[in-house]
Amino acid sequence: MATALNEVTVESGSVGALFTDSAPTPGRRVWRELRTSPTALLSAAFIIFILLLAVFAPLVAQLTGWGPNEFDPDAINPDLGGLPVGPGGGIGSDHWFGVEPGNGRDIFTRIAYGARVSLTIAFAATLATTVLGVLAGMLAGFYGGWVDQVVSRVMDFLMAFPTLIFMIAILSALPADNRLVLLVIVLSVFGWTYTARIVRGQTMGLRTSEFVEAARASGGRGLGIILREILPNLRGTIIVLVTLSVPAYIGTEAGLSFLGVGVVPPTPSWGKMIAQAVPWYASDPMYFIFPGVFLFLTVLSFTVLGDRLGKILDAGDAA
Amino acid sequence: MKMRNLLAPIALVGALVLAGCSGGGTSSAPSDSASTQAVKGGTVYVLNSGYSHLDPAQGYDTGVMDFYRLIYRTLTTQGTGDQANEILPDLATDLGTPNDDATVWTFHLKDDIFFEDGTPITSEDVRFGVERSFDPDIAVGSPYARTLLADVDGYEGVYRDGHLKSIETPDDKTIIFHLSRSFPDFAHAVSQPVYTPFPADAGVTTTSLDEKPIASGPYRVAEYTPGTTLKLARNDYWKASSDGIRPALPDAFEWNMTLDAATMDERLIASQGDDANAIGSSIQAASIARVQTPEIKSRTLSGTMGCSTFLALNTTKEPFDDEKARQAVAWAVDKSSVQNGTGGTLLADVATTILPPQMDGRQDFDVYPSTDHAGDPEKAKALLTEAGLPDGFTMTLDLASGTVSQAQGAAIQQSLEKAGITVKLNSIDSSSYWESVGNAAKENEAVLGAWCSDWGNGETFLPPLFEGSQINDVGNYNWSQLNDKSINEKMTEIRSMTDIEAAGKAWSDIDKSLVTMAAAVPLVYQKVVLVTGSNIAGAYSDPAFSGQIDLVAVGLKNADE
Repeated sequence: MATALNEVTVESGSVGALFTDSAPTPGRRVWRELRTSPTALLSAAFIIFILLLAVFAPLVAQLTGWGPNEFDPDAINPDLGGLPVGPGGGIGSDHWFGVEPGNGRDIFTRIAYGARVSLTIAFAATLATTVLGVLAGMLAGFYGGWVDQVVSRVMDFLMAFPTLIFMIAILSALPADNRLVLLVIVLSVFGWTYTARIVRGQTMGLRTSEFVEAARASGGRGLGIILREILPNLRGTIIVLVTLSVPAYIGTEAGLSFLGVGVVPPTPSWGKMIAQAVPWYASDPMYFIFPGVFLFLTVLSFTVLGDRLGKILDAGDAA
Repeated sequence: MKMRNLLAPIALVGALVLAGCSGGGTSSAPSDSASTQAVKGGTVYVLNSGYSHLDPAQGYDTGVMDFYRLIYRTLTTQGTGDQANEILPDLATDLGTPNDDATVWTFHLKDDIFFEDGTPITSEDVRFGVERSFDPDIAVGSPYARTLLADVDGYEGVYRDGHLKSIETPDDKTIIFHLSRSFPDFAHAVSQPVYTPFPADAGVTTTSLDEKPIASGPYRVAEYTPGTTLKLARNDYWKASSDGIRPALPDAFEWNMTLDAATMDERLIASQGDDANAIGSSIQAASIARVQTPEIKSRTLSGTMGCSTFLALNTTKEPFDDEKARQAVAWAVDKSSVQNGTGGTLLADVATTILPPQMDGRQDFDVYPSTDHAGDPEKAKALLTEAGLPDGFTMTLDLASGTVSQAQGAAIQQSLEKAGITVKLNSIDSSSYWESVGNAAKENEAVLGAWCSDWGNGETFLPPLFEGSQINDVGNYNWSQLNDKSINEKMTEIRSMTDIEAAGKAWSDIDKSLVTMAAAVPLVYQKVVLVTGSNIAGAYSDPAFSGQIDLVAVGLKNADE
């Protein structure tokens, strides 16, 4: 991915390079192309909706009148094993998405609070893995030699691990005091290698490019070149990696919660809701469908958006 | 006096429900739904999660104790059908002859009793069975030999220490037990699996029976792969004439132990093919709504487990060293939401006493009444203020990871929240739960406990849970860690009572004191809902085995299907 010098300088305003007002900035170009893609717009709209839902979850609770952990004994039928009263798992004006069987907790409120948990973990893990992965990848790719050897072997080691099994083992063994932080740490420890591997490859390509040579010739030192010349050129790659790893972490978090090693109850979590809904699939399918659909659409939206972004940025690079 | 895994009876495990319960239960009569006469022959299929041990010295949960009756016989055993609540002679000719103070018991064996290889069962064999159960390698089963027989201090079983002095076998048909104290209920004790006979001279070791049991009952093990399948065939040497209790109608039994709970429910409800001849454990809460059609209802049984689920409050930890703080919890708990979490009215009754309803002499009382058992947070808050905790407090509740326990925990958490008490849930894997909470030093402020009686005697229930001398460093069941002088003294007093009725009432009085001081908060008595295949007959929920179907009585309507 050899990037034209002039674009690099445009991208990295901090370098203090030439500005050409006539050419559209990449940001504007990306926005223009995204606007013409209805799938990307829909995805972005859904992501914004989920973000708002997560941020304003307490407001949602006030709006529905039900806290995330509040029981509603009147919404379930104790004589039928705690099955929600009414059609579609108790959907009605009181509970828009119905209630959980057995206790009558409001599913809409719990979805909103569950989005909080999902997104917090996914964003935090993405941030951690991106910082770690980009740093390690750039160092390994730029310096080569023993630095590359050490970083690459650590990556090999972590990638060879049966990650999911190991995560389950670690999370079941550790105390459950602060699962949110633990989940982020565990996801990050195993997740940064994927970013690092790609960034390392890109850096190796950039290292020998003319503008890096030029920077070197004009007296640039290692770290300075990495930050001023290499990093800005990786921006497109990083953006794509980020948009693709967010849904991956949402999925993994849901998976771990489904397996019972996610956040501790009563904290709502989509994965946990789906796990609890499994035995009810025949008598109360809506309990399964709501968190399932939300999880599916969220992951799909991030993936579609990431994919579109990747394509647009790639096209820009080629231009 | 013991319990076991009441953990996930509805959710995951089914058969792993706890040690025997029995006594004057209400649900013992064969249900109408299964009243069609069962016929001889055919194969009954059982869908459950398998058994802990085929060695009766080690197995002590209700699932396996129900199973043992198919392949083993003991001196006495519970009756079947209308007599399901009674203890009846099995290998013995009668219920035993005690001496004046019930410390020496003599039993005589019937004629025509054989092991599966045709050798007659002698008193030697009964003695050998009891003596081998003392071996430290396998002494994990029913405690009624270890705790009742005399001269057992330091005795480590027949393999290491030879014969036990307190069992005499004057001839092949007579066996005499010397007890360490008066025990008028001994006829119940010898129905426990540790009293199963095994041939004394057949090379039985501590491990051989788990692999190759030696049958004395109507069936023998034809094939067994632990955790996968188990097949029983008829024991040709078993004589129906010497056994008035077991109808033993089917020619064979076959287990499928590989299914998860939802699949079992699904197959029993569908009742297709071989599943028409199938029985299983209690269905899950999620399946309750699906068994309400007349066709399925006609083959559904319900019954009580005879167990009690309660919240044990650790009296050695702050703030529960203060009676007022404990009583605040007792007032605040919303038992009806715990009931809903357990699976609603069909799978649980709200409990106000620690002793479950079938116990002898048990009185019904409610020390903490509230509307619909929904709890009274205001009273709780008032008590907390009195206790100097106006802002409430934070406590940790130990509970198992099973679906039902988790739902019960969430209900407790939510209801205590209203009284300003924050509950942190400490989920422990179901398989190691009792071991973990049995570690007295590591126990948190509260434990979600459960207990089943072995029979209607209160002694099998309250002392292990609340007697001061029974607080152990490990393997502890006194989760309240209660060491109350007056309670201890009363328990000792009742043990010396020979009038069983008066003793029953006295145990119930202790129950009331315990609930009043809130050493534990009774939550629910769990129940079972069993769906049987459409060709099953003679099935009933047996209170002696936590409401599971009595396996020795079940049969088929039509043996050719």
